[in-house]
Amino acid sequence: MKRLQENRIDQISKYLQANKLDPELLPEILDHLACEAEENLWDGKPFEQIYQDMVKAADAQTLLNLSVDHQNLLAMEKSLNDIVFENRNKSYGAYDLRKGYGQTIQRSVVMGVAFFLLLVMFPKLYAKLIPDPKPDDIAWSVEAKPVDIRVEELPKPPPVDEEIAPTPKTVKSLTPEVLPDNQVEIENLPPAIDELDHAQPSTETADGIENLDVIVPPVENAPTAKSEATGAEPKKEETFIVVEQSPQYAGGNEAMASFLRKNLKYPRPASQAGIQGKVYVQFTVGSDGKIENASAIKGIGFGCDEEAVRVVSMMKDWMPGKQAGVPVRVRFTLPIAFQLD
Amino acid sequence: MENNTTSNEYVRGTLKTIVLNLLAEHDRMYGYEITQEVKDRTGGAIALTFGALYPVLHKLEQEGLLLTESVEVDGRLRKYYSLTHRGNETARAKTNDLERFLDAVRLLLAPRNLATE
Repeated sequence: MKRLQENRIDQISKYLQANKLDPELLPEILDHLACEAEENLWDGKPFEQIYQDMVKAADAQTLLNLSVDHQNLLAMEKSLNDIVFENRNKSYGAYDLRKGYGQTIQRSVVMGVAFFLLLVMFPKLYAKLIPDPKPDDIAWSVEAKPVDIRVEELPKPPPVDEEIAPTPKTVKSLTPEVLPDNQVEIENLPPAIDELDHAQPSTETADGIENLDVIVPPVENAPTAKSEATGAEPKKEETFIVVEQSPQYAGGNEAMASFLRKNLKYPRPASQAGIQGKVYVQFTVGSDGKIENASAIKGIGFGCDEEAVRVVSMMKDWMPGKQAGVPVRVRFTLPIAFQLD
Repeated sequence: MENNTTSNEYVRGTLKTIVLNLLAEHDRMYGYEITQEVKDRTGGAIALTFGALYPVLHKLEQEGLLLTESVEVDGRLRKYYSLTHRGNETARAKTNDLERFLDAVRLLLAPRNLATE
């Protein structure tokens, strides 16, 4: 096959360009025409004639139609932007913005919707990620060790076989109460004298053993002769400091003074040192008149304090102090004067 | 020339099918090869002009029925066309359609032909 010379091909190419053939179509058409020309050369035609025939076949109108067809074909693929920006400066930026507009809008819508959904769903998501503690959840566990508590059992006092104290025969004899006339009940008359001959007065009338004189009540509860006289039982022992009726030495202050003079001996150390003064001895006079807990609260020393306490402790029973007519324990302070003649 | 223009009038409607059918028979062809093939097989009865052929080829390419590849031959770029899978199916369908159409046309033309004879 005869090859077409380069300058001939250039000639054809220039012809096509001169007729404004679309550059995209140029190589293909050029190849086609060149092939045709080579074929004709093979047939022995001179190139000049071939060229003339070719120009006749590929006249300006045919080439223009080809270009227009091609443009129309491309136009179907072109977007509006390509048409608007045809023959304009596309690198300026507006073209790129317009071209990417659809994509940008799509992306921003997706992002916006996602963000909004996230905002709306946030509380639920948060609740799912960090669940509320359930009521049966264990917050922390504490190990409890058994503590051995031993109760020291006190030896029980051996049961005392108490003989039931024989109950004396009693007759109801209550202390008469002073009442308004209309409230006086006449049922509770005092017992007659002959009834009391063989019975003892009590709060209840009960049949018991007659002439039972010896009754041994518990010592603590035993009413003293005084309390019996006043008809009231002593209350729980309580030490008073000030009472309505102060305790008194049996026989009065003068008897006490003589007792002290008689028994007090001036301690030798004190007399040698020439000590004088008062010793304050504090003691408690029990409700039965006994002197207890004697001690010197303020003294002069040199044996005087001990002497004073000794003598006070020696004293006979006092008359107990009384509060509301009831003998009570009273704390009493007695000043004892030591004086050298 | 008169004869040629008449044939071109019919070719215009069937060109697409002809091109597809030819490509179905060959692996790949370039434009000039197609015109030569048509010319050879019809004994010059149908002559494709490049002005008619290339727009059809480009259109088929755009429709996705053809694939192109450019190969440099003798210092020139030659564009080869081949059918895609879809192009193969379309070629078969179009060929069948054309055959049925030709049969129908033949039936239409037959009585007159008989009458004139």
